[in-house]
Amino acid sequence: MNACQDYELLVSLRASGAPDALDAAEAARLDAHLAACAACRAELEASAAVLSLAALPPPSEAERRAVRDLPARTLAELHRNDRRRSTVRRALVAAAGIAVAAGLAGVIVAPALFKKAPQGIPVQFAETAQQASWEVPDMDTLWSDAQVVDLDSSSAQSDGDTSTDAAVAALDY
Amino acid sequence: MTPARHMDERDETRRTPSLRVVAGGVTPARREEDALVAAFLVGDDDAFGELVRRNERMVLSIVRRYARSADDARDLAQRTFLRAFEASRRALRRGLRREPVPVRRWLVRVAVNLAKNHARDEARRAHALTASPVAPAAQGGEARGEGAADALESMSRAEEAARLRVAVLELPRRQREVLTLRIDAELPFAEIADALGITENAAKVTFHHATRRLRAALADAERERLP
Repeated sequence: MNACQDYELLVSLRASGAPDALDAAEAARLDAHLAACAACRAELEASAAVLSLAALPPPSEAERRAVRDLPARTLAELHRNDRRRSTVRRALVAAAGIAVAAGLAGVIVAPALFKKAPQGIPVQFAETAQQASWEVPDMDTLWSDAQVVDLDSSSAQSDGDTSTDAAVAALDY
Repeated sequence: MTPARHMDERDETRRTPSLRVVAGGVTPARREEDALVAAFLVGDDDAFGELVRRNERMVLSIVRRYARSADDARDLAQRTFLRAFEASRRALRRGLRREPVPVRRWLVRVAVNLAKNHARDEARRAHALTASPVAPAAQGGEARGEGAADALESMSRAEEAARLRVAVLELPRRQREVLTLRIDAELPFAEIADALGITENAAKVTFHHATRRLRAALADAERERLP
């Protein structure tokens, strides 16, 4: 009976029903043992039964209906998110770069941003301006999908776009 | 310098590169997926649709255990695809990846995280587990596990199924992932290994442990019912 321990793993794998559970040699070894061992046959049957009961049932009619056009729906949402992201980027460009970063709660502004401050626009004014013109984006989308630009390359340029990109990059940590 | 040492030094610089062992191996399915991902990343919408089609069964099989309704499951699946694919695009833009994106691996991780967070946020988990419409047919009348061993017969099938549902969700993470990818998504072990970034052998052994744990959970429940 102790020899059955050697077959425990093979029995579970046979019970799994996977096409690649056992190679030919293992299958032959297991079959030979099962032919002679009622205890292991019982183990196999019990494990197979438990796995069968533990498995999710096939999707119901309601479930199948719900996911019938999942690829199209997902693609549509992807496009929506992309459009929204480019809208947000345009809004960010329109406002002062630093004010945007300050306007979003809890963001630690990278030191590089201060070097890129647009001339002559006080932070408070810019903040008000961007709050007035900017609708709060879906935070889920924004936090997870902000486009990232390598901060190292931003120092090579000096136009406003860079500070915006860096501001957006600062959100993505 | 003796001739022998001289030769050793030459060998040092001309050593052949060692093979890098990739856990899980690359199945033909994986190669096709890599091609689809590459196409998606350059904006091919059809490739995106195909990737969703190919993986929706796997993703749904993961999230259905945590979803309370058909719509829940669909929404979780949709968010999973979006998050994983958008992360792929970010990774591409950052130039972080030298190798193909392991989409399945990301899908599995994201699906599990989203589904668990969802279940936790619903704050009705205990109730959901036993009353979920996507739960196995506690209503009976289904040909499930026929020819079950005697140990199962004294508990009603509905009770067993309910107990097992809980037991599956209580499995250690890796065991739960391997088990559900096998029995729900019905992936071969090679693909399970690839999806989880482990070796095929590890997947099989983990499956064995998960099975034992489920058997033990059912046996415990059976014992508790005895007078």
